[in-house]
Amino acid sequence: MKHSVNRPPTPDKDDAAEGFEKDEVTLREIINVKLVESGEKENLMELVRDRLVECGWKDEMRIACREHVKKKGRKDVTVDELIRVITPKGRASVPDSVKAELLNRIQNFIVSAALCV
Amino acid sequence: MSARISFLKNPDPCNHLSGYKLRYGTDGYKSFQSLFSCFNDGRIKIKLREIEIPRCSYCSVYQKRLYICLFCRSISCSSHILLHTQLNKGHDIAIDVERSELYCCACIDQVYDPEFDEIVVSKQLVGLGMSVKSGADVVAVRSNKKRRLDSQLIIGSKFLVSPRDRREKWSFPLGLRGLNNLGSTCFMNAVLQALVHAPPLRNFWLSGQHNRDLCPRRTMGLLCLPCDLDVIFAAMFSGDRTPYSPAHLLHSWWQHSTNLATYEQQDSHEFFISLLDRIHENEGKSKCLYQDHEECQCITHKAFSGLLRSDVTCTTCGSTSTTYDPFIDISLTLDSANGFSPADCRKNRYNGGPSVNATMPTLSGCLDFFTRSEKLGPDQKLNCQSCGEKRESSKQMSIRRLPLLLCLHVKRFEHSLTRKTSRKIDSYLQYPFRLNMSPYLSSSIIGKRFGNRMFAFDGEGEYDSSSSSPPSAEFEIFAVVTHSGMLESGHYVTYLRLKGLWYKCDDSWINEVEEEVVRGCECYMLFYAQEKVIQKAHKELSYQVISMAEAFPFANC
Repeated sequence: MKHSVNRPPTPDKDDAAEGFEKDEVTLREIINVKLVESGEKENLMELVRDRLVECGWKDEMRIACREHVKKKGRKDVTVDELIRVITPKGRASVPDSVKAELLNRIQNFIVSAALCV
Repeated sequence: MSARISFLKNPDPCNHLSGYKLRYGTDGYKSFQSLFSCFNDGRIKIKLREIEIPRCSYCSVYQKRLYICLFCRSISCSSHILLHTQLNKGHDIAIDVERSELYCCACIDQVYDPEFDEIVVSKQLVGLGMSVKSGADVVAVRSNKKRRLDSQLIIGSKFLVSPRDRREKWSFPLGLRGLNNLGSTCFMNAVLQALVHAPPLRNFWLSGQHNRDLCPRRTMGLLCLPCDLDVIFAAMFSGDRTPYSPAHLLHSWWQHSTNLATYEQQDSHEFFISLLDRIHENEGKSKCLYQDHEECQCITHKAFSGLLRSDVTCTTCGSTSTTYDPFIDISLTLDSANGFSPADCRKNRYNGGPSVNATMPTLSGCLDFFTRSEKLGPDQKLNCQSCGEKRESSKQMSIRRLPLLLCLHVKRFEHSLTRKTSRKIDSYLQYPFRLNMSPYLSSSIIGKRFGNRMFAFDGEGEYDSSSSSPPSAEFEIFAVVTHSGMLESGHYVTYLRLKGLWYKCDDSWINEVEEEVVRGCECYMLFYAQEKVIQKAHKELSYQVISMAEAFPFANC
């Protein structure tokens, strides 16, 4: 039998993707750490919160929660259940402008953080 | 339970939380105080000093909702918190790291404890640079909005609470406060709650138009009920939520109506009328506004006064004599005989609903009954001008001018002079939240009789010539006084509608209730306000402080 043991293993397509994802995860973590350390994360959270209130998203969610509670009855609903039910609705209804603004802010932050390094 | 929130119906703690409290009291909470960190927008989070980013001890995730166990301080995410409880017996209670809220892992639900919140709030106060007093003195509003330095907090009762977000957990609308029962005084408390939240009255007193420090009657040592009301308004809107005792007003009222100065249960409606009467007397005299009732500018009449038209027609020759009488409320007969009105029946058929129960009384039925053409009995013959002698006649009432605030009193207490007995009519009366009074206006009632003949109105138009726009006949309800129980030993409760939400005011206890509860109650006095008054009030309640400009609604009325 031919020995092909010395030939390096063909890189698996999935392996490559996994590797890339792993890098991405660590990158995401790094960005998060930098955001928290500098306090920018808090600012961004506050910004998002303000925007979501301004555009009425918070009120919409509140109404959605109320309706769900009305349907199920006050005694039968837990906070966890509400979170489970409302989260997809919430994520789907975030206005694009808010997403765009947030992305912009994070990009700017990364650029400035990279420059300072 | 601390007195400051006695009117809030806190959810009962679960067994796990009660068990925890029994064993550890508030020590566990206090040990976390060092970990609470106040951030720039006033939010309190858990900040563990060494670890910057909290992670789940089971899966290392940091993006999900994280909880820190009260017992062992290990952090778990929402997916693993149940596992943590299962692996560690007794570790039931945790705190949401991001929000500083209690969570019961065993019940898989959020739980609430005022003592915990007290500790969190005291941290917020420290964060804002204010001195912290012991729990009982601090009445704070938990705000999740940024720039909390704008909102001041009560310490003692020196500052005014003005939360920016009215939908916050602990904030009830301004002015909502329980009234202590001083001995069968629920009849007084019920009426006071309705009056305190009547926009024209509220604005009148809060804008200082009857200031007890400047009142001439008081300085002369005379009794002045409007002054006592000034004290009550100030107390109700002070932001202090502990139940208030209107002892001064009770005492003053007793002095005016000595025959009613007992600790026995009185009639709420009687109290209402006598109170308004006293206000008119005092206001009229001190401000020299007293002319005749129709033109009186005192607050009682400005708010509640309307004009009734009474037409008495001779059944023989048809000539009618018309008289006008002012009113400050309308008492409606509640008789199972005045059941549904044709309007109700038609409405129901339209909506495809079941036909209205023929014997269930409705408010429109009562109003129809009030404005019906009534044949006066043979013993009530009146002198007819054109016939020249006493003739049988018929009488019909209608409303010539609607007041700003319409109080409809349902006559549930029947006193029979012949039988020397009294009884209470308990039948349920169906009433709407929105009421259109146009069918009961003189123009409509007389119009129905005579068609479009102009002479029937004696030159009156449909509107007051003084106002620029036609006064609306659309009313919205803002308070309901209910009576439950028997004649001698009943209880009065008031339901208030503020910014679209209903609140039950049962002496010292106030809670938010669902609409259905109010619809199904046994109404005794219904308080309606013209819709423009309600709309204006909505705006006013949204402001932080009632400015002088907003407090003078009559300028724009």
